[in-house]
Amino acid sequence: MNTQPPEHDHDHDHDDHRPTREDDDIELTEREATFLALKSLLIEQGVVTADEIRKRMEFNERGSPHQAARMIAKAWLDPDYKVRMIDDTKAAAAELGIETTEAKLVTLENTPERHNIVVCTLCSCYPRSLLGEPPSFYVSKAYRSRAVREPRQVLKEFGVDIPERVDIAVHDSNADLRYVVMPMRPAGTDGMSEAELADLISRDCVVGCALPSEPDNR
Amino acid sequence: MADKLITDIGGEAAGDVPRDDYNMLFWEKQMIATFNMLQTKQLVVTDEYRRIVEEMPADYYKNSTFYGRRLEGIVALLIEKGIIDREALAERTKAILDAGTRDHV
Amino acid sequence: MSEPKYGPGDRVQILDIGKPGHVRTPTYARHKIGVIERYCGDFENPEDKAYGRWGGAPIALYRVRLMQSDLWPGYTGAPNDVLELEIYDHWLAPAGGEAV
Repeated sequence: MNTQPPEHDHDHDHDDHRPTREDDDIELTEREATFLALKSLLIEQGVVTADEIRKRMEFNERGSPHQAARMIAKAWLDPDYKVRMIDDTKAAAAELGIETTEAKLVTLENTPERHNIVVCTLCSCYPRSLLGEPPSFYVSKAYRSRAVREPRQVLKEFGVDIPERVDIAVHDSNADLRYVVMPMRPAGTDGMSEAELADLISRDCVVGCALPSEPDNR
Repeated sequence: MADKLITDIGGEAAGDVPRDDYNMLFWEKQMIATFNMLQTKQLVVTDEYRRIVEEMPADYYKNSTFYGRRLEGIVALLIEKGIIDREALAERTKAILDAGTRDHV
Repeated sequence: MSEPKYGPGDRVQILDIGKPGHVRTPTYARHKIGVIERYCGDFENPEDKAYGRWGGAPIALYRVRLMQSDLWPGYTGAPNDVLELEIYDHWLAPAGGEAV
């Protein structure tokens, strides 16, 4: 197997120097080979087509933390949208042209009295249409075990110190619903545009494991 | 009371939560998309996948990775449903490993 | 879809129905008493779906709110910290007492 990036050919118009496929410099493992074998058999047998897999990959790529951030930033600026998002999160996503595959999405609003945090103790349920694939910490057995029992300690380890006067609500995403946390809008953000506000909202804010950045610390 | 499922770990003692992020590999993205297509075509449902994982040996589950488990689970489920033949899969996998290249697919 | 049996604020006990195999009620929540936060809609029973029995009659799913101090002995967080999770109708029983 060729483990070197291909020679760059200046005769045609590539605009970067990456390998032609993103894993070309990674050794083929038994696991990957098993998947490739499975895929080729499924295609051969007519169960799925290569085109369907490719299109679905493109669709999945659209699920990213930016989608949830757009919705939250809009809700911060538009009280009516915020009401609609809390009332029906899927419909609120559709308003922004975001297609969601989850059966039901619920928005959990952080307030001065309550901080929400999301975990799936039994597997890895996550609002993928609005956040993409879950990060390593979210699917880790340590997070799944501990977030329900000692949420304040886990948050502290993430650098989020929730004062005693604020109640914590842990949400175990254990069945059919999927959750997004709507963090509170940080101070000092008056006059910021929707796009600027969205930039303050990281992936981990949306499961309650981070707080939005202050405008100066992006 | 039934035995506790191996996946039922909420509240158990555990160490530090790992914080490093890893990019998904290309084949992992393809695998998720393939799994999603099988769901869309109603050949598998999520709860069947969860059940297959719960039936894995406890030691395997404990040491398994997220995407490794996904692959094992999909394979086991498709074999159980008669959609994939175990021997054909083993043979094809070996051929790919022997060739040592991704280029045949 | 039938009328949901419970409404927000109703006190319920999460049961342990002793069913082997695929279930979605975590052990930590079984036997605990909480209140209904909301009725979530009707969904197919995962205990059937997991074994290829699809298309059954949907059952009611509820969001149940529990006090953390009731769940974990020696819980050290704030006294009003809560946990919420989704429980299907057949894993719930009325707990009596005043609705809250």
